Amino acid sequence: MGITEKINRNIDITSWKGKIPVNYIYTAGIAGEKFFREIKDNAKIVGTKCEKCEVTYVPPKIYCERCFARLENYIDVGTKGTIHTFTILHENLDGTKKEEPTIIAVVKIDGTDGGLIHWLGEIDPKDVKIGMHIKAVFKSKEKREGSILDIKYFKPI
Amino acid sequence: MIKKVAIVGVGYTNFRSTTPDLSYRELTYEAATKAYEEAGVDPRKDIDSFVSTAEDFFEGYSIADEYCPDQLGAVLKPVNTIAGDFLQSLITAYMMILTGRLNIVAVQAMSKASNMTTLGELELFAFDPVFNRPLAENPHFVAGLEMNRYLHDTKTTREQCAKVVVKNKKNALNNPYAGHGAKITVEDVLNSKIISYPLTHLDISPASDGAVVMVLASEEIAKKLTRKPIWIRGVGWCSDTFSLESRDWGESTSTRLAAEMAYKMADIDNPKKEIDVVELSDIYSYKELQHLEALKFCNKGEAGKMIDNGITEIGGELPVNPSGGSLGVGHLYECSGAQKTLEIVLQLRGEVGKRQVKNANIGLAHSWRGVPTTTSVIAILGN
Ligand SMILES: [Zn+2]
Repeated sequence: MGITEKINRNIDITSWKGKIPVNYIYTAGIAGEKFFREIKDNAKIVGTKCEKCEVTYVPPKIYCERCFARLENYIDVGTKGTIHTFTILHENLDGTKKEEPTIIAVVKIDGTDGGLIHWLGEIDPKDVKIGMHIKAVFKSKEKREGSILDIKYFKPI
Repeated sequence: MIKKVAIVGVGYTNFRSTTPDLSYRELTYEAATKAYEEAGVDPRKDIDSFVSTAEDFFEGYSIADEYCPDQLGAVLKPVNTIAGDFLQSLITAYMMILTGRLNIVAVQAMSKASNMTTLGELELFAFDPVFNRPLAENPHFVAGLEMNRYLHDTKTTREQCAKVVVKNKKNALNNPYAGHGAKITVEDVLNSKIISYPLTHLDISPASDGAVVMVLASEEIAKKLTRKPIWIRGVGWCSDTFSLESRDWGESTSTRLAAEMAYKMADIDNPKKEIDVVELSDIYSYKELQHLEALKFCNKGEAGKMIDNGITEIGGELPVNPSGGSLGVGHLYECSGAQKTLEIVLQLRGEVGKRQVKNANIGLAHSWRGVPTTTSVIAILGN
C-alpha cells in the first residue's frame, strides 16, 4: 500500500476543464407565492405570525420554526425597518474588485422577528449605522416581476 | 455505562494551496495508507465499515458519495457518506461502534478546493434561490454582516480579531503540515485589502487542499492495536435555521448548544479549567473569538480580552488553535473538522514538537462549515 512514484515535473501535469450546466426551476411554495405576489401587485411585504410563540416570520413560512405549528395568519408588516447589521462589499463573485462597493444589510422589519437581506441605497457608506431606520424602495409597478429584486434597495427615512 | 471508543490511527497529507500532482482520490489514498499503517489494520480484512465525507459538486460530480469507496479500500464493503463536516462523519462512525455490531470503522474527509475554478459561484448556490441568491453577491458578505454585528454587540475590536490572525499564522510556522504560516503584525491584517467591511483579506482563511483518514475502534480492539488510544469522551452537534433572515447574527447559538450536549456527555462543568487544548473553527478571524464565547471558555464579550492577555497562546492558560487553525493551515471545507481533530489527537499523544501544549490530557475539536451554514460540531477527546 502506498504511493511510491509521484509526478515530479510540473510540465508533466495535465488538467481538464469541466463544466456542470445545471438548469432547474424552483417553485416558491405556498408562503413564497403569497410573498412575491404581494410584492409584485401591491408593493407590500407580508409575514406569517405564530400566535402561540408570538413570533412573526418575514419572509413568511407555513410552519413555526419554534413550535412547528402550521401558520396561516398572513399579515402586512409594512415596508419599514432598522439596520440590524451591515457590510460594505468590495469584491465581485469572482473575486475581482467592484467598481463601486455595495452596502448589504440585514433589515429587521418593524414589529416582526424577521427581515430581509438587501442593499442599502441613497446613502454614503460612511454614514451607515447599525440601528438606523430605513424603508423599502420598490421598482415601478410595470417593472415588478415577483422577485426580491422588485425591491431596489432600502433607504434612510 | 456507555462503551468506550478510541481513535487508533491517523493519516494525513500536507495541507497546501494546490496539489496538482495528485487527483482528489489519490489524496485520500495517501492519507488512508498512512492511517491504516499507523493503526496496523488491513482495510480489506479488518475494517468493518467506512464513513466518508463529501458534498455534491465540490469535486465536479453529482452523487459524489458513489465515488468514495475505492480510494479507502472500501469496495464491496459497508460505506456511507456524510454531506457535512468530517466531525459529523466521526460521530457517525462512533455511533456505529457504540451499537456493538461493528468494531473497527474508518472515517475520511478531503478538500481539493484548488480544483474549483468558480468557488464563489459554487458557494452562492448554497444560498436560498429566491430570497438571497438573486443579489448575486460574493458570499463573504455574510461573514462581513456577522462580524459587524458581533463587534457591535460585544465591543470586541478589529485589532483583537487581527491578533487572532497573527497568533494562528505564527503557530502554523511550527507546523510542518500547515500551508499558510507567516510572521505578520496586527497592522498587516488591518491594512490588507478590505473585502467586506469590517473583514479584510487576511481575516479570511485561504482555501486549501488536503486529506485526513482516521481509524476508530472499540475499547477491547483499541487496546490491542495501540499503546496510545485517544478516547472519545463527548460529542455534540447542532444546526441553526438556514434562513439568513431569522438567524442570530451576534453569536453562534448552534455552537453553544452543541457544546452543552458534548460537555454533559463528557461530564465537564468548567470547560476552561478542565480542557487543556482547543482547536476551533477560525475560518474567519472573528469566528475564533465568537466560538470561544459560545464554547463557554469565557462570558460573551470577553474573548477579545483573552487574546489581549495571551491566554490562548500555546504557552497560555488555554491554548487555542496551536496547529495554526484554518488561518494558518488553510480552509479545508468538509475536511476542516478533520484537521482540528487531527491536531487534538497529535497534541494528546504528545507528538507535535515545538508547538506541543504541556500536560495536554483533554482536548476539544470544533467545526463550523463556513458561510452560509450554521452547523456546529464538537468532539471532546482524552488520553
Ligand atoms: Zn410557534
